[in-house]
Amino acid sequence: MTFPYKGYTGYYLDVDLTKGKVHKKELEKEWARLYLGGSGVAARILWDRTGPDTNPLGPDNVLVVGTGPLTGVMFSPSGRMMFATKSPLTGVWAESHVGGFLGAEIKYAGFDFVVFNGRSKKPVYLSLRDGSADLLDASHLWGKETNMTTEMIREEHKDPTIKTGVIGPAGENGVLYSSIIVDFYRAAGRAGLGTVLGSKNVKGIAASGAQGLDVHDMDAYLKANDKEMEKLHDPLWTESLASLRKYGTTDLVAIINEIGRLPTKNHWTGFFEKADDIGPEIIAEKYRIAQEACHGCAVGCKYVIRVKDGKYPTGPIGGPEYETIMAFGSNCMNSDIESIFHLGKRCDLLGLDTISCGKSISFAMELFEKGIISSKDADGLDLSWGNSETQAILVEKIAKREGFGELLADGVRKAAEKIGGEAWKYAVHVKGLEASGQDPRAHQSIGLTYATNVRGADHLRSISCVEELGYPEIAASRFGEEKAEAILDIMSPQYKGELIWDMEDLYAIVDSAVICKYGTMWPPMFYYDSFLNVIPPLTGMTDWGDMKFVRQAGERISHLRRAYNHRLGITRKDETLPHRLLKEPMPTGPSKGGLPDLDEMLDEYYEYRGCDPETGYPKESKLRELGLDFVAEDLKSRGMTR
Amino acid sequence: MTSFLAIDLNKCTGCRNCELACSAKHTNSFNPRRSRIQILKDEVQNLVVPMVCLQCEVPLCQQACPTGAISYNEKGTLVVDKEICIGCENCVTACVYGGIEIDPQTLKAIKCDLCWGDPACVKACDYSAISLVESNPEGHKARKHGVDLAFDTTKIKTGEVAE
Repeated sequence: MTFPYKGYTGYYLDVDLTKGKVHKKELEKEWARLYLGGSGVAARILWDRTGPDTNPLGPDNVLVVGTGPLTGVMFSPSGRMMFATKSPLTGVWAESHVGGFLGAEIKYAGFDFVVFNGRSKKPVYLSLRDGSADLLDASHLWGKETNMTTEMIREEHKDPTIKTGVIGPAGENGVLYSSIIVDFYRAAGRAGLGTVLGSKNVKGIAASGAQGLDVHDMDAYLKANDKEMEKLHDPLWTESLASLRKYGTTDLVAIINEIGRLPTKNHWTGFFEKADDIGPEIIAEKYRIAQEACHGCAVGCKYVIRVKDGKYPTGPIGGPEYETIMAFGSNCMNSDIESIFHLGKRCDLLGLDTISCGKSISFAMELFEKGIISSKDADGLDLSWGNSETQAILVEKIAKREGFGELLADGVRKAAEKIGGEAWKYAVHVKGLEASGQDPRAHQSIGLTYATNVRGADHLRSISCVEELGYPEIAASRFGEEKAEAILDIMSPQYKGELIWDMEDLYAIVDSAVICKYGTMWPPMFYYDSFLNVIPPLTGMTDWGDMKFVRQAGERISHLRRAYNHRLGITRKDETLPHRLLKEPMPTGPSKGGLPDLDEMLDEYYEYRGCDPETGYPKESKLRELGLDFVAEDLKSRGMTR
Repeated sequence: MTSFLAIDLNKCTGCRNCELACSAKHTNSFNPRRSRIQILKDEVQNLVVPMVCLQCEVPLCQQACPTGAISYNEKGTLVVDKEICIGCENCVTACVYGGIEIDPQTLKAIKCDLCWGDPACVKACDYSAISLVESNPEGHKARKHGVDLAFDTTKIKTGEVAE
């Protein structure tokens, strides 16, 4: 064992599915030092092994399963892991992060990363245990829903402690936004990671291990960890943490509706009159039976529900997150919470991303309202707003790619192209990814986040809650007193380029560490200094004790992912917003009249990012400054540097 | 006075931070499988069952040990002497609470030693589900409460724990 840094296992698996061979390799030392882990290392692997000619659903695509140095070592919101690939939905960079216990278990089984390539002739799953890895037959699991798959794998190994990440029928059937479900009800949902696994005939990954993780300096690390954990008791965060613990992310339904940012009626507006019916209070009172937490997490935002009777009774399941309630609820004008529980549950079992699925259905509902499609086009279904029975039928049809579901299974961009005419106006996406539950017409900086996010219209690469939830102390300490007021003004575009540039680099490290957005995004407890504090004693990487190095690492990861997309043809013209969010002023609610000043924010962002404002391409000097010479050479030869 | 751990199942979220803290303290590494406290989970039934030594008044593990490896330390806590333990697993079979197990690396029995009076798991539990209580009527009650809840949810019946 020559890998010098602790907190890592020092090994990764290169899985050649075509040959059915698993190669155990030593982790590259520089991957850890320069890219930390998770998203950063995945970006390096995907840059090296995929590109413009890679067919996302072909054997040539690569899917990375990633953990980070903070996975499984007690730092509180670190019960996370990630997956990355070239997306079949968007054709560009895709990464999706997920909570639970699988990430830590993969490390205890002896590996930091798994890299799948090729295509298996028959269905398989990868079983990891104590330093060894086997591709096992999954013929009997193929077609099974995600919970049954996990139960069967545990039964097969007579080991109830096995943790899994598996796909459902949707991933097998090639629905372009299929998810990977981890530990029964946690989803790596976005951008079709599950679809890629399905195309490779891989049902999933199962891990169990008793290999411990060594620490460079345990005493110093535990002290550093305690120091970070003390932040949880700062009165500044009491309210946010209490809310997350009591309601989970469902509280956002109420908080976000109040500021007029809750996507409603296919993003037509940001205010849903019946939000209380699908909000935090009713869920907590009537359905919630337990609080749950991911591995080692002190926040504990996950919750379990049960529905005793009615049309959709269910035993204990993970309760829906904000995004699921928004996608199937307000965004489809459905205020029947029990039906939303059901839709979320079915998506988890079938392995569908609830956001893209809900948004594809709301898109169809709007086309129906506008007369662009009729019941006849939709297998006789009544696509009226709020029709939860139609939603439930469509979820099943989409997962099977059956009838009208076939059209919606490719997401709104492709569906709009097929339908033609005015349909594109109602396809709310960026780079082909359906928008998540935010709206730039009520929150300027989310417009910049959506536009620049490497995986498309999604908040998780750089959303700022500093102005959304109002943290004046944080705005002042991070950006200076003189900028704080403008930054806290949610509808001012001023300094939002700097704000989002800063958040994007911070999250690049968060996503490489790999830790959760709860604690970094909401509430914004942890910042760059947290990594400076814990990474050196954990790993022994002294460079990570230097603020300049840490911030540069964030920049490096951000630039590498952007470069990956440039090589696939992405430029400033793609870093934009859908018609509805850019041109149609918010029609109703507290943010009525709002529109984002995207160009102004983009110009500032490119300046901070070190990019050319016309094309969005990076400056060659910036890439070289970050040690990305291999990227500079490649992009330069394609005319993609400035 | 002797003491032991009492766990309030209603507060436990199943995050398993206690396992991490325990393994860090006892093995100088993060390895839940070597933790003296174990959290069993069944997601389908929404079961979370913490398992740790209850410091029984009539310890079945001690009685089952053929080499006399299990004895009380000066604080009145039952501990395993790893030099004497032969890893026969008799104690594991004897304990009805899952409070003693075999370390997957040393292959010797391991159990909670209360960290010599300052349990790492108690500090690591952000939900205040674990507490160190003294062996008095109140402590017994807290311990029994935890065990009853765990056994109710797993549908196992026992009348062994003193109240």
